[in-house]
Amino acid sequence: MELQWGTIFAAAGAAMAAVMAGVGSALGVGLAGQASAGVVSEDPDRFGSCLLLQLLPGTQGIYGLLIAFVIASKAGLLTGAAALSATAGLNLFLAAIPIAFGGLLSAIAQGKVAVAGINLVAKKPEEQGKAMLMTVMVETYAVLALLISFLLVNGVKVG
Amino acid sequence: MIVSMKRMTLVAHKADETAILNALQGTGAVEVISGGQDNSAQAALERAQSRVHQFGDALKTIRPYAPKKSFFAAPAEAKAEELFLMLPDAVSLSEQLSVLNRELAATKSEIDKNETLIDALRPWEAFPADMQTYQVSKKVKYFTGIIATVDVEKLENIESTAEYQLFNEGLMRTCVIACPLDDAKSVANFLKSLDWTDYVFPKMPGTPAEAMEELSEKNRTLNAKKVELESALCDSATGREGMMESAFDAAVIERDRALASADLVRSSATFQLEGWVPSDKEELVKNAIHQITDAYYLDVREPEEDEVPPSFVENKPFVTPFEQVTNLYSRPDPNGIDATPYMAPFYILLFGLMLSDTGYGLVLAVLTALFIKLKKPGGMSGGFARVLFWGGVSTMVWGALVGTIFGMDFDTLLGTNNLFPLFVDPMENPIGMLILCFGLGVLHILFGVALKMKVAFSRGDWQSAIFDSFSWILIVVGLIVFAVPSAVQGVPVVISTIGLGMAGLGAVMILLFKGRASKNPIMRTLSGLGELYQVTGYLSDILSYARLFALGIATGVIASVFNQLCMMLMGSPNIVLRILGIIVASALLVALHGFNVAINTLGAFVHCARLQYVEFYGKFYEPGGRAFKPLSYQTRHYRVTDK
Repeated sequence: MELQWGTIFAAAGAAMAAVMAGVGSALGVGLAGQASAGVVSEDPDRFGSCLLLQLLPGTQGIYGLLIAFVIASKAGLLTGAAALSATAGLNLFLAAIPIAFGGLLSAIAQGKVAVAGINLVAKKPEEQGKAMLMTVMVETYAVLALLISFLLVNGVKVG
Repeated sequence: MIVSMKRMTLVAHKADETAILNALQGTGAVEVISGGQDNSAQAALERAQSRVHQFGDALKTIRPYAPKKSFFAAPAEAKAEELFLMLPDAVSLSEQLSVLNRELAATKSEIDKNETLIDALRPWEAFPADMQTYQVSKKVKYFTGIIATVDVEKLENIESTAEYQLFNEGLMRTCVIACPLDDAKSVANFLKSLDWTDYVFPKMPGTPAEAMEELSEKNRTLNAKKVELESALCDSATGREGMMESAFDAAVIERDRALASADLVRSSATFQLEGWVPSDKEELVKNAIHQITDAYYLDVREPEEDEVPPSFVENKPFVTPFEQVTNLYSRPDPNGIDATPYMAPFYILLFGLMLSDTGYGLVLAVLTALFIKLKKPGGMSGGFARVLFWGGVSTMVWGALVGTIFGMDFDTLLGTNNLFPLFVDPMENPIGMLILCFGLGVLHILFGVALKMKVAFSRGDWQSAIFDSFSWILIVVGLIVFAVPSAVQGVPVVISTIGLGMAGLGAVMILLFKGRASKNPIMRTLSGLGELYQVTGYLSDILSYARLFALGIATGVIASVFNQLCMMLMGSPNIVLRILGIIVASALLVALHGFNVAINTLGAFVHCARLQYVEFYGKFYEPGGRAFKPLSYQTRHYRVTDK
């Protein structure tokens, strides 16, 4: 059987976006979760603030999922539509790179800031807003990566 | 707007001190500051503080027995003096509770200790002799310990004069070895080569089995006592929550007053209070004091150069909630301007663009409206709830403008033919959407620069207004105008030249006048060149608004992904599977969309705040004010109604 290189590239791109951004978020949320549990063990009232901070590195995974889904539906992977040209497939694969790597690394970095922020909230609960802002500063770059991935996918001509 | 603060000094009779502090606390308009060294009120302050702790502990004890309050339940209301009615009862109850708690804790720890002992003795259950007196012979050395099972067979190689006995099965085995005193050293050395741990019996008479029985018996009694104490605690605690809460609030009010009182200075007959009062509350304070006594001296004056007043702002009701957003960053410098009224409209606008889904906006607006209506939250949570409410309203509008509702197309839902989006479809025209975002960004940033100009003008510093701020407006607007003819067809090229001229004029103004403090022309030009490099800063600031678009698609596309997933579930050709699918998909839709609303609201909130703080406030805002903390009713459970 002849391999459908276009579809293969597109599937690889979708998988890469979802997996790498997802792994980053899992690591980031995991780090922050450990810190949250530590703080909550001392003061259960901090749970709400800690949870918000723990959630923040989780968005990269969603961005990865988003790009994966957009690529999959564009390449017809969900419905099994007509074959994709190898160029279009490779383009879709390349379009996944920004959110895959940007998501992976920024989620880990953001998780570390979230940990620091959770420790800040443990000592000074009233500074929660600042802790969240510092954490969100990192996310900027995931958002930019998402934007570029999205524009690149959007620009690929299929069929 | 920033309210100017006045410095007040009040001198009155000591006899009126409590009444006056009481009245001032009711006005909530005076921040008492330390007047000097005077420790006469320190003891009272410590008493008040320990009472707050005492009631706080009592509340922690009571809480598990109280009925759960609904999340939306509004806090109870009371007058200040009503709160104090419960104080005597609360004192005796909190003491009673703390005695019970102490006894309960002691009982529990005794039970735990016995349990641990029983666990430690269990491997020795088969040991037949009395634990204290088994080492009867003076000529025999006994080794009592625990040995790993893998090493047990090595015991065969021990000195021939030694005897050993094991008492249990398992991985670690209890063991006693007996040998003549003369061989004790060599046996001890031999044991060192094995996995052997010495064991000392607890100081209890009888065999281990007897001791375990005795300990279990003790624990049975202790457990009965524990149950008794717990039910006593339950009896005293049940239904007393309201009373303890009111007493807690009363104690807090008293503590705050004691804190203020500790800042007073006293002579033999009078006290002197130093403080800050907002200029519009001066009359209120005077009246409050006047109602108590005529015998007082009050001086209210403008602050002197070296006195830094607290920062206090008052805004229209619509803007007030947005002060919380500013407070997260920093309070305004008392000599600067209050940025909140300028920030609020942009906050609403940008927040809506980030969520941009009519359905989600509706959910957010309805939930926050309910929360505000039922819970009547004040302070920080009340402020944020109102901010999110307006954000939700704006989200609904933006949703219609870009044409999404719960991730669906408006047209599909309403059956209209390409009526929506009213403005721009980010999926079909991403570049148009990006330009919209950058355009809003330019507007936002230039508005910030214009505000800086305004501040400079109001200080009479027209040079700074023109050369430092207006020049940048010229440059940014000029560069944009310069680019218009090449981006949009049909615009005459001469526009481009005009734009270039504007930008050039701005740049020249900066080059020549940025370093106007220096006389040296080379230094001036260098300083101007450095400032011109800021153009990269403006560029990155504007590009930062791309997040508006990215967060918008993050919400919209994820919502439509959820919809598609659920459609797949419902699409099975088998009728049973299809019904099952519809049930699961409906539940899933609610949960998934709920999650999407929550996480994207959080994202929109913080990213919008960041745009305000970094891109907007960075242009003109002077942070660093210290909050105005007047002596007032800082109650946690009751809302004090007498004002």
